[in-house]
Amino acid sequence: MTTATTPREDSRATPVQPETRLTYQPNVDICDRGSEVLIVADVPGATAEGIDVTFEDGVLSIHARVPAREPSGRAVRQEYGIGDYRRSFRLGDDFDTSQIAADYRDGVLTIHVPRLAAVRPRKVEVRPG
Amino acid sequence: MQTYRTGFAHPLDELRDELDRLWGNLVAAPPLHGWGSRPSAAAFPAVNVRETADSVIVEAEVPGLAAGAVDVAVTGDEMVLKGSRPRPEDAEPAAEGGEASRTPAVTWHRRERGTGSFERRLTLPVAVDAAKVEARLVDGVLTVTCPKAPEAQPHKVQVRSA
Repeated sequence: MTTATTPREDSRATPVQPETRLTYQPNVDICDRGSEVLIVADVPGATAEGIDVTFEDGVLSIHARVPAREPSGRAVRQEYGIGDYRRSFRLGDDFDTSQIAADYRDGVLTIHVPRLAAVRPRKVEVRPG
Repeated sequence: MQTYRTGFAHPLDELRDELDRLWGNLVAAPPLHGWGSRPSAAAFPAVNVRETADSVIVEAEVPGLAAGAVDVAVTGDEMVLKGSRPRPEDAEPAAEGGEASRTPAVTWHRRERGTGSFERRLTLPVAVDAAKVEARLVDGVLTVTCPKAPEAQPHKVQVRSA
C-alpha cells in the first residue's frame, strides 16, 4: 500500500489532443513533508489566470496556458518551444483533496496537497520517567 | 544543402564546414545532466534568439528567479546570463512552526528542477549597443532587447546620378 501515499504520474489521465502548438510537460519537484506533499512545477511564460489545477477521480491535473507571442524578425537560435504545459498525477486516498492550494510566482507553480489529519505522522513525545 | 554558385567551393570545404558545425553543437551543449530530451537539460537557461533589422532579442526561461536575481552583462557581441536558482526547501519554510520543524523530514519523490548557480555565455549574431540594452522579467521569462550597434545596422546608401 505504499503506492497510495505517493503521488504517481498518471499517463492515462494526461490528455493527448491534436493541437497546432505543442504541449510540454513541465519539470517538477515532488516533496513529501509528512503533513503535506508539495508539487512544484516550472511553467515559465504561463500567466496566473491561465493556470488550471483540477482534481477529479483521484487525478490531480495541471494545465498552464502560455499566451502566444508574436515572433518578430528571424530566429537565430531556438532552444525551447512555446506551448501550454500539461501534467497529471494520481493521488492516493490519504490526502485531504478539499484543501489543495496552489500559488504561482515567477513562472513556478507550487501546489500544496495536505494529508488527512488521521494519517499524518505524529511525533510522540518521550518524557523522562 | 548548399549549391555552388561561384564555382570556388570545393566539396571537401563543405564537408569540413559540416563537421565544424556538428562539433560546434557538441561543444556548445555539453551533457551536464545527461542526454536529456530537451536541450534545456544541458544548458541553463534555455534561450531563443531572434534578430530583427535593428535589434537582437534574447529570451530565456528562468523559472523561479525574481527580477534582480539574474544578472545580464553585455559587451560587444557577447552576453552573459548569471544567477542562482533557489532550492525549494529554502524558499518554502515548513508550514507548521515549532522547533521540531526546523529540520523537517523531507522525502523527495521527484527532483527534475535544477538548482544552484548558473552562468551562460552567448555569442550574439552582431555587436550590440550595450548602453541601450533593456531586460524584462515576466512570469519566469527573461526578455533582453539589444539594439544593434550603429556600425552593425543596415544603412541605406544613396545612389547619385553622375
